[in-house]
Amino acid sequence: MVLAFASFREILGKERELHLKESATVKDLLEELAVARPAFKEAAFDDTGALRDYVLLMVNRKRIDPTQDLSRQLEEGDELAVFPPLAGG
Amino acid sequence: MIKITEEEISLEEMINRVRSNDAGAVVTFLGTVRDDGLERMEVEAFREAALMELEAIREEAMSRFHLIAAEVVHRTGTLAVGESILAIVCSAAHREEAFSGCRYIIEELKKRAPLWKKELGEKCERWVGQSSSSSS
Repeated sequence: MVLAFASFREILGKERELHLKESATVKDLLEELAVARPAFKEAAFDDTGALRDYVLLMVNRKRIDPTQDLSRQLEEGDELAVFPPLAGG
Repeated sequence: MIKITEEEISLEEMINRVRSNDAGAVVTFLGTVRDDGLERMEVEAFREAALMELEAIREEAMSRFHLIAAEVVHRTGTLAVGESILAIVCSAAHREEAFSGCRYIIEELKKRAPLWKKELGEKCERWVGQSSSSSS
């Protein structure tokens, strides 16, 4: 399950279920979203194909570090949340 | 109490809940919609994750600053200029702890809680904290 918030929700919709190949990683899932929605690719990835540094991620409601954890494997039932910088308060 | 709600915030009720005979100080913080030429503001939350993070922040503040009680209520939905976005209320034996606890909660909330604000004006709209804006 992918949850998207704020500007990414406007592109991807609030939630969508994706069926990934076995041993798919966070990066695989983000790239699949980029293929499905070019506007997401433009918003989330730079010209070199690297994830933009303002993109924030959670897996199962815990923040992960996009500079280190994109190769993390996802399991059946995992929830990935993708969102821009926080702005509460 | 930690709450994320579309309903108006009652600061008076929050204050009454944190009052106690042990408390010599009650400090409140209200975040409100500032008129920067906008018509309204939309507030969005990753509700489940934000509640967990706000509870963790509240517990940290309680323990670090020896608070007697602390409450946080954050609005979501569409807000008009002047409306309250957020209320934090802290009680402690003395003012220093109550002020410090209240400041800790708002600063950590801004860094850690998955909440977002979108400013909507007559001709443009903008997600707060993001550089790009678009015409509506």
